[in-house]
Amino acid sequence: MPKRTDIKKILIIGSGPIVIGQACEFDYSGTQACKALRSEGYEVVLVNSNPATIMTDPETADRTYIEPITVESVTKVIEKERPDALLPNMGGQTGLNCAVALGKAGVLEKYGVEVIGCDVDSIETGEDRELFANAMRDIGLEVAKSGIAHTVEECEKIADELGYPVVLRPAFTLGGAGGGMAYDHDDLVHIAEQGLALSPESEVLVEQSVEGWKEIEMEVMRDSAGNGVVICSIENLDPMGVHTGDSITVAPCQTLNDFELQRLRDYSLAILERVGVACGGSNVQFAVNPDDGRVIVIEMNPRVSRSSALASKATGFPIAKMAALLSVGYTLDEIENDITRETPACFEPSIDYCVVKVPRFAFEKFKGTDDTLTTRMKAVGEVMSIGATFEEAMQKAMRSLEQGHAGLGADGNDDFDGVSEEEFEHRVATPTPDRILYVTEALRRGWTVERVFDLTKIDRWFLNRIKDIVTAEGVIAEKGLAGLDADTMMAAKQLGFSDAQLAHLTGQREDTVRAVREVLGVRPCIKTVDTCAGEFAARTSYHYLAYEKGGVTEFHEAEKPRVVILSAGPNRIGQGIEFDYCCVHAAYALAAKGYETVMVNCNPETVSTDYDTSDRLYFEPLTFEDVMNVIEVEKPVGVIVTLGGQTPINLAKRLKAAGVPIMGTQPEAIDLAEDRDRFASLLDRLEIAYPPSSTAETVDEAKSVARRVGYPLLVRPSYVLGGRGMGIVYDDEDLVSYMEEATKVSPDHPVYLDAFLEDAIELDVDALCDTEECYVGAVLEHIEECGIHSGDSACCFPPFSLSDRLVEKVRETTRRLALSCHIRGLLNVQYAVRDEQVFVIELNPRASRTVPFSSKATGVPLAKCAARIMSGEKICDLGLPPEGRDLGYYAVKEAVMPWSRFPGADVTLGPEMKSTGEVMGLDVTFPKAYAKTREAIEYDVPQSGSVFISVCDRDKRSVAPVALSLRNLGYDLLATRGTAKTLRAAGIPCEVVKTISEGSPNVLDLMADGKISFLINTPKGHSSRGDGTKMRSEAVSRGIDMATTMSGAVALVQAIAALREGPLSVYALQDL
Amino acid sequence: MNLLVDDGRHPKALLALENGMHFFGRSAGAEGETFGEIVFNTSMVGYQEIVSDPSYAGQIVTLTYPQIGNYGINEKDMQGDPLHLAGLVVHDMCYTPSNWQSVESFPNFLAQNGVVAIEDVDTRALTIAIREGGAMRAAISTTDLDPESLVARVKASPAIADHNYVADVSTKESYVVPGQDSDGQPRLHVVAYDCGEKKGIGKRLSAVGCEVTVVPWDTPAEKVLEMNPDGVFFSNGPGDPVSVPPVVDAVRACLGKLPVFGICLGNQVISMAAGAQIEKLPYGHHGGNEPVMNLLTGKVEITAQNHNYGPVFSSFGPLVPELSGGVAEHPADEDLRFWSRAHVAPVVQTKAYGRVRLTHVNLNDGTPEGIQFLDIPAFSMQYHPEAKPGPNDSTYAFSAFAKLMRGEDDYLAIDVREGRRF
Repeated sequence: MPKRTDIKKILIIGSGPIVIGQACEFDYSGTQACKALRSEGYEVVLVNSNPATIMTDPETADRTYIEPITVESVTKVIEKERPDALLPNMGGQTGLNCAVALGKAGVLEKYGVEVIGCDVDSIETGEDRELFANAMRDIGLEVAKSGIAHTVEECEKIADELGYPVVLRPAFTLGGAGGGMAYDHDDLVHIAEQGLALSPESEVLVEQSVEGWKEIEMEVMRDSAGNGVVICSIENLDPMGVHTGDSITVAPCQTLNDFELQRLRDYSLAILERVGVACGGSNVQFAVNPDDGRVIVIEMNPRVSRSSALASKATGFPIAKMAALLSVGYTLDEIENDITRETPACFEPSIDYCVVKVPRFAFEKFKGTDDTLTTRMKAVGEVMSIGATFEEAMQKAMRSLEQGHAGLGADGNDDFDGVSEEEFEHRVATPTPDRILYVTEALRRGWTVERVFDLTKIDRWFLNRIKDIVTAEGVIAEKGLAGLDADTMMAAKQLGFSDAQLAHLTGQREDTVRAVREVLGVRPCIKTVDTCAGEFAARTSYHYLAYEKGGVTEFHEAEKPRVVILSAGPNRIGQGIEFDYCCVHAAYALAAKGYETVMVNCNPETVSTDYDTSDRLYFEPLTFEDVMNVIEVEKPVGVIVTLGGQTPINLAKRLKAAGVPIMGTQPEAIDLAEDRDRFASLLDRLEIAYPPSSTAETVDEAKSVARRVGYPLLVRPSYVLGGRGMGIVYDDEDLVSYMEEATKVSPDHPVYLDAFLEDAIELDVDALCDTEECYVGAVLEHIEECGIHSGDSACCFPPFSLSDRLVEKVRETTRRLALSCHIRGLLNVQYAVRDEQVFVIELNPRASRTVPFSSKATGVPLAKCAARIMSGEKICDLGLPPEGRDLGYYAVKEAVMPWSRFPGADVTLGPEMKSTGEVMGLDVTFPKAYAKTREAIEYDVPQSGSVFISVCDRDKRSVAPVALSLRNLGYDLLATRGTAKTLRAAGIPCEVVKTISEGSPNVLDLMADGKISFLINTPKGHSSRGDGTKMRSEAVSRGIDMATTMSGAVALVQAIAALREGPLSVYALQDL
Repeated sequence: MNLLVDDGRHPKALLALENGMHFFGRSAGAEGETFGEIVFNTSMVGYQEIVSDPSYAGQIVTLTYPQIGNYGINEKDMQGDPLHLAGLVVHDMCYTPSNWQSVESFPNFLAQNGVVAIEDVDTRALTIAIREGGAMRAAISTTDLDPESLVARVKASPAIADHNYVADVSTKESYVVPGQDSDGQPRLHVVAYDCGEKKGIGKRLSAVGCEVTVVPWDTPAEKVLEMNPDGVFFSNGPGDPVSVPPVVDAVRACLGKLPVFGICLGNQVISMAAGAQIEKLPYGHHGGNEPVMNLLTGKVEITAQNHNYGPVFSSFGPLVPELSGGVAEHPADEDLRFWSRAHVAPVVQTKAYGRVRLTHVNLNDGTPEGIQFLDIPAFSMQYHPEAKPGPNDSTYAFSAFAKLMRGEDDYLAIDVREGRRF
């Protein structure tokens, strides 16, 4: 069927902020969908609250609304735009849930909006576990025996019938949030309570456990004519019991034979048909019993997903793009395969390499939480790697993680020494982020594959491959570097060993290994991801490197000069989609300037790893060795290292030393900014103020700094991102324990100790510099005071509480700094303002996390400008608008915290970044814009009821005005005794509530009874455990909003007041 | 197995091609030397079915998926016995398989069956060389490790078309595959000409209620007609169809007398009997992901394929415009996607057997994949509806044959989704 002409305008709902379980894969899918639909002539309206996305660039859609993804706000967009159709399955669970809610609210019917791509009934059949189970029985497929429960008692009853262990899965939650495996009654009650609370329908599925079975996923597409194809099969290395988002996964499926795999294919296609997926992509998950092949259907997602993004990157088949085209009436046979351009999209990719995905975790950020992996996803990012064998891909993936591994261990960074036999066995048996390393070590210690299999149920095939790797380690160590000839060196590289591992194994330096390898002529070949295993010629340049004998490479020359852009690697807390965004913009800008752009990255969730984004894509780890391999082949005129966050910055020096031309800001300038002493002397020379600070390498040095500078101190290791290991210390005792910990995080680098400016206002400045001129793109004012990591703090553009004179002073200071540091490209400066005094906290000579937000808030594409400057253009030629112009609106960015995923960790903001993503709110006043960010994060702020207030002594003075406003807004106030005293002194009536240690009824009981609308609780110090921690955790698990800083509380109260003035309007970026 | 793990247990081997290319690797099956035509197969699983497919007689098969042998060898997926392929090329061979059905490792199985195999070859580079150079003569040797010498000997080796491989692989004695119950329908009796028939075909026919008498390739048609079967089936098989004139004669003797069905080589001999020409494709179709449209339903099925030869549709005869959407001339470039795009199943007039309709088209390259005789009960397919290995989309072909034998009209317009019943 040709495309539909009866629809002209299509609404796409994005997935909102990056949260655990829903990351930038939906930016990738949504961006593809927007591009595909627009190129077919449709007008695309987009709603997404996440500013750090390519999809919310004003050029991606025709009408872009950075607005909350709520029924109210999307309804307003529909009212204003009157789209003909809604494509709901590009925005993950968030988009899908919103579409369902819009349908139920009658909005779609009222405005005549047709849902395309899937219908609401099929979404329900796919998502509602009981409907799904019945549907599967209809077509003769087995599902795990289960029952639906709405109360803890019902859960108990079902579990008794099924027998333990059982899996609990709450309905309609993201990434299985609130679910888990219960081995006994206590587990069950615990998980059931959580799950029921988190499920919007208070519904939990209690299911027979298939723990230890193989977990297989099929990525399937179907068109409206009924044609169905399987794009990719994915086998989880971690068997059932670990969420697939937390599992190491491998494509294609490795251990099923043709009969078994084709059976799953038939099942998958039949499931799509039965569930009623009209067209588009779906993900179907199966459990396969390793002992008899029995198959149980686990679930299906009738939408693009994290797995579909992975499958797209793994095969070269762009699922989201195809799904978008199918939704407007095309059939698979009518769409061309992008890569071959001579065969249709109606086929099943054949791949001739192995793909491994490894999740990346952030447990170190959430002390106190258990790092056991369960059916509830906890990973914050992932890497994908491509190799000619599983072994090669697995080792590449491990080094792509950037967690200090050069492969599967054997790199001198493993530390199993202090681990007892018993503990070691426990670590092998228990799925955790490090389990794979324990499994490898166990095989290294001579454990049999059977013994490891019994403990882990990881398929013996994977274990045998890992055993081959450790066997080879022994051979390599025995031969030594001199004993490796061209054949054995090639064999080592074919197993994925990095030069760093070979160096460790042979007791040599990495450089020496590389040099010897060069002499032996052992270099990787360029291979191509082409969807068809070489059967047809590929027209795109999507590459990976693999070691093959014979040296046949698929590299092709180009006439245009090439620029290599190093992107940001896996998403992690502190380095996420924002940097990928900058790299994508650089690719666009440089392509427009006539360069051949070459992207290097290993994150499958991103837009940068779409083969459409740059002229050439290398899916490779961002290590020196792998990056150099690309550079040596591509011979670029320049390499961009300042847009991908800390990852490429960390490579800059070595690359430059190896003779690589660095484009833009040079490593020397990077070093100047990152070296505290040199930077301090620069500031002294320029007479720019900064908080008294010093560095220390030992505890004694640190103590003497403390005496000189005074407490409190902001302490952090050098060369880390996202405030990793950062803290505020108030006394000697804190300082000593901090120093001991810090030397672990970053052993070779000193610790910075800065005087901590309490109650100062923090500013973030993003600016461009061409070495002659500096343009300050945006001055952002933080809502939370100094001491809260800038990534976790809300911020506003333009500054809402600073004088023009002060902002101009900040701009001027930025200019002087940028020029003195010889920045060519982007820079970010953080300031603290106290008593009209401006202090420089730090300068980052690279793109910052706030660049996408600043670009959207100001309408100036900073990353694109930076790329143009790096390639030689001058700021005066860029046609930039005046810096201090009045825009007539406020843009607010608010951070999104992953608290609910990490029960047990303290829920407070501090100097170490913990947020996973961000949302943006845009409106004519600051309070309205801030209110939008609260809605976008789905914080439910009841408009009446009781507010609980408990603040630390520091904040007692400022609490009264906030409390008074709340009273005036009609809230009743509850407070702890100390706070109540302050309030009463100010003449504000409030009720005293017992603290937890004072017995019942206390604040926990009130929360449980639903009597608290929200909390204002400012903890003192950095490690206050006890009552406050318990209370905040309880609030998180009950979804009760809270402010943990006074400045946050003020903003919240203003936002509530703004909402009282009437509904908020929606604004399209194109109209600003 | 990686060289560092192998530790000298397997001897060096050499693969040489007619165009002078060569690849060093290690033995991963039987040691020795083998000559054949080199082809590649892009199926990611199903190596057991591939190596046991008699159609590969005379061919050295390159598997494009790099790690082979992962799930071992089982007892139920054999497609022929013994193995007939000339040799096997893989990137990495697995000696430690894992699957509950596995009874033997793949390399041991190859060695026991005397199949010469080589691993540690850049199979992607080799595949691209075959794609660009076409199916070539080649050799694998563990005894002659001199590239120059082996290439020279490859050049001197006979071409695949020179030999009748069907005679090598066909059963010597006829045998019977019992039929299963099919919804209470009376059992149908099919005689199958075994030109190298995959066991999967017999099983699929049996599953739709056919009792199959498998006869040697050169069985005279009179003997078959004497058995008075409900239908005759012509199987897949190796090599050039031109090398088996007796089978074409048998087709002629059967066509019009009783229902006839053919697969792969069977399709080629049926086409030849109807007067069509056969062409050799540059590098053939070997894999499990070829999209084929059934023009009668407009549905696309993902098919398993294994052939280097195929009929030329225009050579069947002139178009019958009134049955071909008003089109009177065959598309000049022979690209039959002209018809799939128009969703028209064109009909031609043959000299001997009346009208023939094009029913299936390969969407990758526009070659014919299936035909149906309108004036006599017969149809055939170039691809493998039995799969084994590959997707099960096309198993309806066997139901179609049963329907044809039961005298139903419109027997071939079956939606692929009907096959997905569990």
